[in-house]
Amino acid sequence: MSVMPDKSLRVPVVLELPVGASARPVLARDADATYWMSRYVERAEHVARLLMVNGDASLDVADLGSDILESHWKSVLKIMAVDGPAASEMPLPESIIQYMAFDYENPNSLIRCLTRARENARGIREVISTEMWEQLNMLYWSIRGDEAAAIFRESPEQLYQQIITGSMLFQGLTDQTLVHGQRWFFAQLGKYFERIIFTTRILKNKFEMLRDGEYANDAPLANIQWLAALRTCGSEESYRRTYLGDLDAINIAQFLILEQRFPRSIRYCVRQAHRSIAAIRAAVRSHTVDPTERILGRLDAQLEYASPADLMNSDLPKYLTGIFDNIAAAAIAVQRSFFLH
Amino acid sequence: MFEEYIVNGVYDEMFGVTGTPRSHYASVASRLTELGPDALARRRRMADIAFRNQGITFTVYSDQVGVEKIFPFDIVPRIIPADEWSHIEKGLMQRITALNHFCHDIYHQQRILKEGIIEPELIYGAKMFRREMLGVDVPKNIYIHICGTDLIRDSDGRYLVLEDNGRTPSGVSYVMENRAVMRRIFPQLFGSYRVRGIEDYPYNLLQTLRHCAPAHADDPTIAILTPGVYNSAYFEHSFLARQMGVALVEGRDLVVDNSFVYMRTTSGLRRVDVVYRRVDDDFLDPLCFKPDSVLGVAGLMNAYRTGNVTLANAAGTGVADDKAIYPFVPDMIKFYLSEEPILPNVPTYICARDSDRSYVLDNLDKLVVKSTNESGGYGMLMGHQSSTKERAAFADKIKSDPRNFIAQPIVQLSQHPSMIDNCFEGRRIDLRPYILFGEKPIVMPGGLTRVALRKGSLVVNSSQGGGSKDTWVLEEDEVEASGL
Repeated sequence: MSVMPDKSLRVPVVLELPVGASARPVLARDADATYWMSRYVERAEHVARLLMVNGDASLDVADLGSDILESHWKSVLKIMAVDGPAASEMPLPESIIQYMAFDYENPNSLIRCLTRARENARGIREVISTEMWEQLNMLYWSIRGDEAAAIFRESPEQLYQQIITGSMLFQGLTDQTLVHGQRWFFAQLGKYFERIIFTTRILKNKFEMLRDGEYANDAPLANIQWLAALRTCGSEESYRRTYLGDLDAINIAQFLILEQRFPRSIRYCVRQAHRSIAAIRAAVRSHTVDPTERILGRLDAQLEYASPADLMNSDLPKYLTGIFDNIAAAAIAVQRSFFLH
Repeated sequence: MFEEYIVNGVYDEMFGVTGTPRSHYASVASRLTELGPDALARRRRMADIAFRNQGITFTVYSDQVGVEKIFPFDIVPRIIPADEWSHIEKGLMQRITALNHFCHDIYHQQRILKEGIIEPELIYGAKMFRREMLGVDVPKNIYIHICGTDLIRDSDGRYLVLEDNGRTPSGVSYVMENRAVMRRIFPQLFGSYRVRGIEDYPYNLLQTLRHCAPAHADDPTIAILTPGVYNSAYFEHSFLARQMGVALVEGRDLVVDNSFVYMRTTSGLRRVDVVYRRVDDDFLDPLCFKPDSVLGVAGLMNAYRTGNVTLANAAGTGVADDKAIYPFVPDMIKFYLSEEPILPNVPTYICARDSDRSYVLDNLDKLVVKSTNESGGYGMLMGHQSSTKERAAFADKIKSDPRNFIAQPIVQLSQHPSMIDNCFEGRRIDLRPYILFGEKPIVMPGGLTRVALRKGSLVVNSSQGGGSKDTWVLEEDEVEASGL
């Protein structure tokens, strides 16, 4: 069978069959745990970056009044879709930071994400690499260890940075120490799902904030928010290099959604998720189309041929919701096809 | 650092009666003294961090979060010279061979009962005797594929067998991790000895499991069955799966269909041929044993009896490591192998026998009383350290259920220097070597040396405050080996 020359991002039609030892089956529970391990590590990284960027930006908005500062922090809860801390004596910003970093009751706190990531990894300790396990373990101890609270008091940013770097290192180790077979693709799938979901939430939140809130028609404030959005997605430098520093809402949306060469853009992530599921399906049942693959394939095509006009202001939230719903449906389809039988 | 060291009348592994180190310990003793307390403390911290970062921990649940602790590791290595080891090795091979004969006999002709060597009541009264296994043929007639035998040394330095663990002995992963850590923190000291490697254990285990695969499986699929991540030995299950490259499954990953065992994979069901189970008999199959077990697989025993899957160790081996059967192992060796036992037992009183029982009840303060079906240092009475009240309570227990108890004289275990705070003190130790029985018996050179870290304690179990240390079995002297 002839294969088209690789156009770098084209999804391969035929996946090469492994040469040498035949691939061994993957336990459904292992695949499930690999996927979630990967999602939770990625989530911890997002939460850390969100808190770091928000802490930094709050210095800029603090003198604009406590209302703005509070809504600035409340947006963190909204983005992560969590209830928020129980009422306390602490000022709201501090209590939200504590809640997002160290509260076990919060399903998306740093400590919960890293604990869940590690619990999942512990259950598949025998199929991930020693390097991955030790790195994840160190990452866990960086927030669970006795010194974590002290580091955090002194400089929260240091702890956030530790987690961000730790997650990156873990992902690098995953790429470099694991066979790029089914398990690795499940890890990729989890990571990219998580990243897409987070990016759509950030964008939607910033967009709504700027459209409805105190920020409307206030250019400097809008700039602070858009810059924060870029930084929260780890995309500031790449954006500036592409658009020469111009913080234009549509450009930013276009970059974070449609830029095909940037690994944190939605389009890139959807493409990778699509490739991953195609590879998994090919390894598991080569002659069928998997429901997850169908959803991701359509979304991939839609983003491939999207026009920048689709992202014009009024349609943006709808557009993002569409992406989000597709990913949510794909996540459910993965569970059904591969984890539960 | 050894100035304050006391050899208090027991056998000391490092120091002879004259107070000088035995020859095979000379360079360890001088090297440790040379390093001094600070360097040693630093190395101990290195070891602790290595264990923590590798997640070699166990969890103590006091609240929702749980506290993770590392198993206490003692950095002073235990050294066993080649001649001592070859004696131990022969003894252990002899023992596992006899125990396998015994299991086969008990579940088939029962010659040993018919010829009056063992009272049938003791067998039928054993909690771990499995009627379900009567008349069942297991591949290659191997029942105990993996055995962990606990050895101790009496005050003359003689090695005695304290018990055989023929069900699901654990600890071998600690042996391997202890070694890896020692090589890292004491590279020079380690290099100065010719220590026999233990790194091929997982390979040997895999060969052992392959050897006993059902006949239909050319390239058998092997899986380790674990109770799950909350089991205290989970680290080991995962370690062995990783080292052998086999699947690690929980009960919920397996399903039995038409008397074959399958695992649930992303691509559907795949047949499993050999299960190295780390789940006790009681929990293996809710249709056969405990009906409320969620750790096992419904129908597993049926598949096993049909011969479609091999269990390692076989079901029903508990009858061989029952503490009331243990006194008969020397008799088994004579009976099945027509050999003299190489490693002696500790003298044992069987409370089910009238004469033994009255002796035990009269001498409780001088004996250790153990429950025949408990392990981990639970359910025992250390006579000399007990109060009158405790002894009275135990006497009642013995009278109401004599079959459940045995008693042994208190053996003064040998001691070995341990690093306690910043100096060396003697602590009691034992040794658990691991024996594999596949095509032929293989004894891992060394084993887990457990240390009773509490001062004066004779109980080395980790659940009772025990730790462990690396065990170095030395290569035979080259000159001797080449016959010059």
